[in-house]
Amino acid sequence: MVITLDKLSRLMVATGFVAIGFAASPGNAQDTIKIGAPLALTGGLADEGHKQVVVWDMWLAKVNGAGGINVGGKKMKVEIVKYDYQTNGTRAGQLAEKLVTDDKVNFVLAPFGSGHTKIVAAVAERYQVPLLACASSSESVFNQGLKYLFGTLSPNGGVTTAVVKYFKVQVPTLKRVAVLGRDDVFPKSMAQGISEAAKAQGLDVVYDQYYAVGTMDHSASVSAIKAARPDWIYVTGYTQDLILVRKQMADLGVKAPIVSMMTGPAYKEFTDGLGNLANGVTSSNWWHHATTYKGVGVWPSTQDFYKEFVAKNKHDPDYVHASCAAATVVLQDAIERAGTLDKAKVRDALAKTDITTFYGPVKFSPNGMNQERDLPIIQVQDKTIKVLNPPEIKSADFQVMK
Amino acid sequence: MQYLQVLANGIVLGALYACLAVGFSLVWGVLNVINMLHGSFIILGGYLTFFAWQNFGIHPLLALPFVAAILYGIGYVTQLLVINRVVSQPVLTTLTLTFGLDLILYNYMTVFYTATPRRVTLDLGHVELGGIFMPVDRLFGMVLALALTGMLYVLLRGSRIGRAIVAVRMDGAAAALMGIRINRIYAITFGIGALMAGAAGAIFSMVFPITSNLTGDFLGKAFVVCVIGGLGSVPGALVGGLALGIIESFAGQFFGPQHALTVGFLLMLVLLVVKPTGLTGIKGYE
Repeated sequence: MVITLDKLSRLMVATGFVAIGFAASPGNAQDTIKIGAPLALTGGLADEGHKQVVVWDMWLAKVNGAGGINVGGKKMKVEIVKYDYQTNGTRAGQLAEKLVTDDKVNFVLAPFGSGHTKIVAAVAERYQVPLLACASSSESVFNQGLKYLFGTLSPNGGVTTAVVKYFKVQVPTLKRVAVLGRDDVFPKSMAQGISEAAKAQGLDVVYDQYYAVGTMDHSASVSAIKAARPDWIYVTGYTQDLILVRKQMADLGVKAPIVSMMTGPAYKEFTDGLGNLANGVTSSNWWHHATTYKGVGVWPSTQDFYKEFVAKNKHDPDYVHASCAAATVVLQDAIERAGTLDKAKVRDALAKTDITTFYGPVKFSPNGMNQERDLPIIQVQDKTIKVLNPPEIKSADFQVMK
Repeated sequence: MQYLQVLANGIVLGALYACLAVGFSLVWGVLNVINMLHGSFIILGGYLTFFAWQNFGIHPLLALPFVAAILYGIGYVTQLLVINRVVSQPVLTTLTLTFGLDLILYNYMTVFYTATPRRVTLDLGHVELGGIFMPVDRLFGMVLALALTGMLYVLLRGSRIGRAIVAVRMDGAAAALMGIRINRIYAITFGIGALMAGAAGAIFSMVFPITSNLTGDFLGKAFVVCVIGGLGSVPGALVGGLALGIIESFAGQFFGPQHALTVGFLLMLVLLVVKPTGLTGIKGYE
């Protein structure tokens, strides 16, 4: 279906939705592969939503530049139909439904975050449309027995256990851990995960609390953490929360040998917003551009992706960029292997995926999540990101915070 | 000792709340307009300060009067040209209008500046008094809240414009008959409200990561502070802000940070039932 400007303007008036990505709707639907993307382009997750757009547009330009995706010997151009769900979960579900039933997309790409992915996944499952999730790592999203959901991030569990192990080796006196998590799907799951992993490995969790979404001040938590005298402070949340917590830790004179924030340092804006205060903060991450993978897809190596991204955007990509770009590479690979746009067959091809991409190996577990692998632990040193672990891509030693 | 720190945290937080609410309270009280733009005005002030600092190296405290003046201009023009057309309509009409204007401003800011959180990374440090830590930037927030409240109080009581604002608030029709140009007074009042939002935004650019996502949170806080402190009362915003800050701080300490916001809203509900005029109970500026 070609969306004309007239139709669109009527749609906008009638529903208040802002639809984009329509203008380049090329030709007959049968010659075009349509991929739907409900995105948070405004509202709380707008920044993350735009990251997805950036890499999907990069992928689209490359794929269509090469004539399209090879579907059973026929090259087909690709179109991504995007809608802004304004960081409103209910609307994400409604728009996913519209993409499937009205726009008749062949496949869907999930929005940022475990919470909204869960909502869109329910719609995709109902209509049996393959859904690629690139920014959802909470097992609670994948443990629902969904057959059409595939995620490129590895489970949170693997990340938390590895981090505790690593710091126990680095700081042998490590004993007391304080955990402060945002009461939201992904950050809460990470906080729970670290708390359980720390207890399982014999550490004392001396503070273990969540803060509500919309909290504008953390002085109560930070003061309580100070009184608990932890060796390791582990905080989860979105970038603006983490900047505020780190700032208030400095304001209230709170220090610890290890300060970890999920996933603050993975984002450039965290370091920009904190300046010197970012130094020493550690995090774990799903991807870092220092890795050197070679594989299938429009970007044959990590370096190819990195160079193209930096040339276009003038800053380094983070794991959201990489994982979301990888999701499109994986989808392309599955379509080409299936040789058809049949949703069930592409779904089966996705389930059998066992490839290496610029982002790393992708092989889905039976629940649809990418398998566990050794994920990078990073630290901000002198306002730049250094990789501490795994050893093969390590760029610096861990520095204890003073 | 820890409770003293919790109290200190509450007081400085409360001062920030007062800072963001005082302009909102004035506009609501005088114009009977629930200004949904207020949160976006604060963020706009924050962005202007941030970019002045990033591009020209201007210190936020130096930029503050200029940012406040720019916001005054924006507020004045918005009221004069747009809101004045419906200002005598029921409150829901002006609320819907400012809500719509807010959507436009908020989304333009998201498009132009992106939602990336930005902060002026000038850390002014903290002062320590007998083991109690007070962050300097928040102390500036406190000084600003007190200064703004004080200046507004003096303005309303001591100047011709101030008396005209009070007169319009008391009885618009009578004020018009006395020769007061009501539309101009409305525009000035709305401008002052925006000026205060801009001044608060300038201070907040050092305290909070500024992002357009925060507009709703700021507006929500301003709302709660006004209801607690007493609507339309200048000292009410100060009292309401401090009360909310201290309550949230102790609630975070005793019930965990998860429930701090809930307790603040509960306080608002209780006050609405037992003392709808708010803590100060003042009905006007007279």
